[in-house]
Amino acid sequence: MVELFVNMGQICSLKTEGILTTVGLGSCVGVALYDSAAKVGVMGHIFLPKSRDNDPDALPGKYADTGIPAMIDEAVRLGAQRSRLQAKLAGGANLFPNLNVNSVSIGEQNVTAVKDHLSKHRIPISGMDVEGSHGRKMRFFVQNGVVTVTAIGKEPIEI
Amino acid sequence: MNEAKLDFLKELANIGTGHATTALSQMLSGKLFQLVVPEARLIPFNEAANYVGGLEQVIVGIFIVISGDVGGHMAFLLPYDSAMVLVRLLTGDESGEMNELALSALQELGNIMITSYLNALAKMTQLLMAPSIPGIAVDMAGAVWESVLAGAQVVNEVTVIRTEFFADGKAIEGNIIFLPDQADFEKIARILGLGEM
Repeated sequence: MVELFVNMGQICSLKTEGILTTVGLGSCVGVALYDSAAKVGVMGHIFLPKSRDNDPDALPGKYADTGIPAMIDEAVRLGAQRSRLQAKLAGGANLFPNLNVNSVSIGEQNVTAVKDHLSKHRIPISGMDVEGSHGRKMRFFVQNGVVTVTAIGKEPIEI
Repeated sequence: MNEAKLDFLKELANIGTGHATTALSQMLSGKLFQLVVPEARLIPFNEAANYVGGLEQVIVGIFIVISGDVGGHMAFLLPYDSAMVLVRLLTGDESGEMNELALSALQELGNIMITSYLNALAKMTQLLMAPSIPGIAVDMAGAVWESVLAGAQVVNEVTVIRTEFFADGKAIEGNIIFLPDQADFEKIARILGLGEM
């Protein structure tokens, strides 16, 4: 079975079957969009909440504000219906908690931004394993929409 | 990136690594650290994630916020195996466990590495640079890397100084990541006469 690895800023998609994987989510947020009827899966690996002027050539998937719409477009292109899309999220951790005592961590900002943009597009969130202070590996099984999340030294959990 | 800038980074790598090696040798009470000439590289954002080993490989990352005349971040990343060799030499603990003692020893080591480069840079530029207390993470390489890049809001390219040294006959790899705020990188460049960044 095909397994595609989604690096920072990338958006990858599969139809019918296969696995979409992001390895090493820290403060980034992994987003899995799924239409269970069409069996269309799209995964994004969001780096920061908001796109910026000094990065005009960035992949749309790098930032939450451009990434979520681009992921929806990709799902629709593969035959998904917007109204059937559901999302699962993982990541948004703060690996260096003692450096962020006075401000909201990037991870938390990413989670908030992703949630806001999903809600703007009326996409419900059906599973989530976010924040905390550890890295995660996220695997998205497109044949049934199952998403597993693994931390170092732990068994995978299903979200 | 022109030749002058790369030369500057190489010089920073040499001087900083020299300082760091001296400091580490003292910390390890004279155990010899033989140094390989450090390599300075500029890595595009898209390739950065794959730089330190595999994304899922466990690494140790020490991360520091810089304030003063130059704002920014600096990080020291090393493979887990290298970290454990250093822990054994620093603490005498042979258990191979990443316990509180090991973490605190590595935090201090990272602090020394990073401040060595910072001091070298401060001397070259006569600018004030003060490090924060160090944060430490032991996690998947990809997770540590992206958290460092996101924490420093780096979106284009990143300067990596890779060093290798030997302790007790074992090769130890270390990567210093230099992430000045863009405006302050220009300030450094101006002072050193390197032209536009």
